Amino acid sequence: MTNYIIRRLAWGAALLLIVAALTFLFFYLFPSGNPAQLRAGHSANPKVIAEITRDLGLNRPLPTQFYDYMKGVLLHFDLGYSYYSSASVGGLIAERLPATISLAGGAVVIWLVSGLAVGIVSAVRRRTWLDRAAMSGALVLISAPEYWLGLIALFLFAADIGKVKVFPGAGSYVGITSDPAKWFTSLILPWLVLAATFAAVYARLLRANLLEVMDQDYIRTARAKGLSERRVIMRHGVRAAITPIVTVLGLDLGALLGGALLVEVVFDIPGVGRLNWDAIAHSDFPIVQGTVLLAALFIVVANILVDISYAYLDPRVRYT
Amino acid sequence: MIDNRRTYRSWGAALLAGALAVGLAACGSGESGTNAGASATTIPLKAGESPVGQHLYGKKRGGVLTVYDHEDFEHFDPGEVYFAEDYTITSATQRSLYSYLPSNASKLEPDVAEGQPVIGDNGMTVTVHIKSHIFFSPPVNREVNSGDVAYAIDRGANPNVPNPYFHIYFNDVVGAEKATGGPISGIETPNARTLVFHLTKPTASLLVGALSLPLSAPVPPEFAKPLDAHSPTKYGAEYLVATGPYMVKSNGEGKFLGIGYQPGKAATLVRNPNWNPHTDFRPAYLNEIRINIGGEPPVIGRQVLEGEDVVQNDEPAQSIVKEAYEHHPQQITFTEGSGDYYASLNTASGPFKSLDLRKAVWAALDRDAIVKARGGPLVAAAMTHFIYPTVAGYEQAGGAVGPKLDYNEHPEGDMGVAEKYMKLAGYSTGKYTGTETLQMVGATGPPEAEVAQIVQQTLQSLGFKTHLALVDKSVMYGKYCTVPAQKIDVCPNVGWVRDFADPQTVLDLAFNGKAIIPEGNSNWSQLDDSKIDTAMEKAELVVGEPARAQAWAKVDEELVAQAAAAPEVFASAPNIEGKNVDGVNQLWNTGSWDYDFTSLK
Amino acid sequence: MTTGAADILVEPVPLLAARSPGRLFWRRLRGDRVALASLGFVVLVALVALAAPLVVGIAGVPGPNVQNPNALDVFGSPTGPSLAHPFGVDQLGRDVLARVVYGARTSLEVGVIGTAIATLLGTAIGLLAGFYRGLTDTLLSRFTDVVLCFPVLLVGVGLGAACSVHGCVKGAIEPGTATVVAIVALFNWTYIARIVRGQVLSLREREFVQAARALGASDARIVFREILPNLTAPLIVYASLLIPANILLEAGLSFLGVGVRAPAASWGQMLADATPIFNTAWWYMLFPGLALLLTVLAFNLLGDGLQDALNPRAGRAVK
Repeated sequence: MTNYIIRRLAWGAALLLIVAALTFLFFYLFPSGNPAQLRAGHSANPKVIAEITRDLGLNRPLPTQFYDYMKGVLLHFDLGYSYYSSASVGGLIAERLPATISLAGGAVVIWLVSGLAVGIVSAVRRRTWLDRAAMSGALVLISAPEYWLGLIALFLFAADIGKVKVFPGAGSYVGITSDPAKWFTSLILPWLVLAATFAAVYARLLRANLLEVMDQDYIRTARAKGLSERRVIMRHGVRAAITPIVTVLGLDLGALLGGALLVEVVFDIPGVGRLNWDAIAHSDFPIVQGTVLLAALFIVVANILVDISYAYLDPRVRYT
Repeated sequence: MIDNRRTYRSWGAALLAGALAVGLAACGSGESGTNAGASATTIPLKAGESPVGQHLYGKKRGGVLTVYDHEDFEHFDPGEVYFAEDYTITSATQRSLYSYLPSNASKLEPDVAEGQPVIGDNGMTVTVHIKSHIFFSPPVNREVNSGDVAYAIDRGANPNVPNPYFHIYFNDVVGAEKATGGPISGIETPNARTLVFHLTKPTASLLVGALSLPLSAPVPPEFAKPLDAHSPTKYGAEYLVATGPYMVKSNGEGKFLGIGYQPGKAATLVRNPNWNPHTDFRPAYLNEIRINIGGEPPVIGRQVLEGEDVVQNDEPAQSIVKEAYEHHPQQITFTEGSGDYYASLNTASGPFKSLDLRKAVWAALDRDAIVKARGGPLVAAAMTHFIYPTVAGYEQAGGAVGPKLDYNEHPEGDMGVAEKYMKLAGYSTGKYTGTETLQMVGATGPPEAEVAQIVQQTLQSLGFKTHLALVDKSVMYGKYCTVPAQKIDVCPNVGWVRDFADPQTVLDLAFNGKAIIPEGNSNWSQLDDSKIDTAMEKAELVVGEPARAQAWAKVDEELVAQAAAAPEVFASAPNIEGKNVDGVNQLWNTGSWDYDFTSLK
Repeated sequence: MTTGAADILVEPVPLLAARSPGRLFWRRLRGDRVALASLGFVVLVALVALAAPLVVGIAGVPGPNVQNPNALDVFGSPTGPSLAHPFGVDQLGRDVLARVVYGARTSLEVGVIGTAIATLLGTAIGLLAGFYRGLTDTLLSRFTDVVLCFPVLLVGVGLGAACSVHGCVKGAIEPGTATVVAIVALFNWTYIARIVRGQVLSLREREFVQAARALGASDARIVFREILPNLTAPLIVYASLLIPANILLEAGLSFLGVGVRAPAASWGQMLADATPIFNTAWWYMLFPGLALLLTVLAFNLLGDGLQDALNPRAGRAVK
């Protein structure tokens, strides 16, 4: 097992390096603007632009630029300096991370609990009206764009602009350390909106897998042995059906930690997703590179954890 | 300067504002107000507020104002600031030599300066005296002197700063052209209270206007020089000192990043403890201003309209304007003279080298439809020439109707006239038969995307094949429309706002052949007409406001005759405030809320 | 039932004939009314998409790109459903019914083709990786990881910014339906590959695979006969979930300037445009949204039906 873990970690590190290089290369090949000109501002003197190009080191060969950048990242944890905000990228990201983690974390809990519960109930009461209603409801949630759901939620329930003034409105997020109660209440609507689509997807996925599993012979054997239905379902059925869910969960969570963009935008939550979005809009490459690295880091970690839990659930996998 | 992020001051507001008020009142009777021959029905302005004639003094002190701002700030440094939303912060924290009262965008008010500037030596020198007892905020704390103003302007040439207006308006100062941040020989400080500018050309009138730019706000050299040595400068990015009634919240060392400003998240303005109200015309009623950055426009618009102690810093979304006008008329203001929008036509390469083709496009374009796409007659009027309302020279250049030329007369679009010019251009069927496909680059998002599609359809109806790309606005400007080498034929979403209340600032950079540069070019049409260039050079040297207005109106006429671009609309900016806010609009800055004069009821 | 002397010598046909899995599948599908209805709806949408000009003509509304400022009110806000425009108009005065009909084309193209490519790619890669393991698996999994970590949004915006005007790679990459389909496929195949790989890893150790191997079956036979059929059910479910998700992804990409080029209609783009004004122009949000919802629903119900029909051991209700 240890060997397996070490190998996964090594690859994880290599992966980050590759992603960093590819992003660097991509922006070099497909630039959306000249950073020197952006920094120089409007109607800038060509002389000034040339100066700034020199200062920013933009005229050096690409590998040199990349080397310097990676050196900074690995040795000094220095992710560079934002062209647009004139602030350190690492600082900006660190500031935004807690919000994204709060958002993603809470949503994961909600969608796992609700999605799995609905999935199991639906599978067990297959083809009854409960099943149909649940799956149709899930479908509706999957079809609705997050952005739209968020707006509806605000226009219905926000304390400042909603019809029924229940939850704090957009922009009311505060850090958990400054006001835990407000932190919690300001995140309820975003959690629900973010969790909605995922819960629906997971419910459907689990239902499908569980139905597959429940038709296996060993389930029939377990029942024949006299085990209670509950035990059969939970112990044998769900445990087997859950492996694809774990895979998807890892990927989803990893991706979300890189920033739940649309929800952050609608609810005005100052997270990494929004930071990335603004940076792309402003061609602020250092921030984009930094957030990409961060998102990749989360996905890598999530994948490693998924792989390890796979190995735990199915020992045969350890030898891959 | 470019488009919808603006910073401008209206001119002759006293005159035109009065006319506007009368016009608006007449609107109630169904007259068409400021729309020249508009076929759209006018909306009678109900009891909404007009920022014209707003009262400035005698209001209630105290309170905390919450501000919603969809766009983030780009600069707090008075030496770098460029956008209208940023100006609302610098006008509260930095005092330039001269400023404008929010209600009078034509008259230069001495701010740090004492009295009006003295132009001498036939327009070759400008002398300014500085007030005493103006102090910097902590941690500098000392009195402002002339050296601080000199340094403020010197640093505009420093590539670590740099100031977008420096080489445009200050280049004629002796030594400015070669300056790179060191002391400029043409800026003399004979004593701590006096500044004398020596010019290489008699363009003193222009310099005087430029002294109202934030670039002239004092900057303490002992504090800022070490920061300006960094690339980019840390002054205005991490550290800042204020001279205005408010300052960006900072720590004891003047550092505000992370304290009074979290990029993309929030900003806070608090009172400047060293501000001396006896030297300032600003009342500064509010105790604190808390700015919330981000949020989606339809949501924050609602939050402002239904809330208390709130305003929106930037322009509200179109649907919010409608909602405000219909249900909260007391909470929305419309400020005329907030700039214009047009579609640039590449005169250097491609089909639009032909004057007749350009005239055909001008004639065919349905400007009324574009007015609607932007939100209707409250926020836009069909554009008929290049100097827009409230800028000196507007009336002289033709006012609302503009030059009476056949291709200009029908803002609803006139295909008959268009066909005439197509035929004159050599296309006997009245439709373009060439093989070139027009490259168009517009911006995403409403209303730009819609306007771009209207322009596209017009071109297609004239027989052109078009290739329209919609990209993010900063990319549209940064990568395509300001780079001549990209050979973009039409940029349908460009626009202009003045740098200050002089008509030269509307026309020069936008249409002067000598202003064309390989990157960051603002002469999007790449117009290079020697006759017009010469006329501009002459007009630059004219002294005195009425004469300059006349001279530049002539340039405007020439530009219309050359169909330098396809005009779209003159813009009026909407601004919204909360229920109990007594907001004051900066007429000189697209009607943005002035935090120095706004109070709570 | 045959008659004639020769039949007396033939064994009687058992009442329960062994039917091939294919025939069983069709039989089950035919019996599932919900699935059939969904299939019918999907086919209907496809037909409408194909015959869009005809449909618009029959409905008597202007074309999807006909701008009409007179259909806007004085604020430039769109007017709602009326006789002339049963679904109302959008912000440029274009008829929403026409745009919904033409939008079906874009959405289906991107959703179906993009998902199909992603599924094929992902399945192929996941199969190879899971089945052969060893170096193949290592290489393919690593490759999957890299693609997974690479931010697609960035690629989309970057391409949009860099390639929308003059195109990239000599005009090969250009915003438009083809590029969106490619991005959608690139975005999605990794998820499928990972899931397939995981399933194959488990499946390959199962008894029936061991048995087939013991019988001397070739790799190809094992893959196609034993493993692939067991993958179809989860693949169908996931694919049927991906199609509508990709339709929504296309909306996001359109918004970034890398989707279908304006003024082409797409449901996703219409929803994105309608969202900021939905409280004043509800029809603009409702009709494309309904079209999207119903199509999504249909695909999902169809997916359910296919899954039930394909799975030979899918019993009746568990309870």
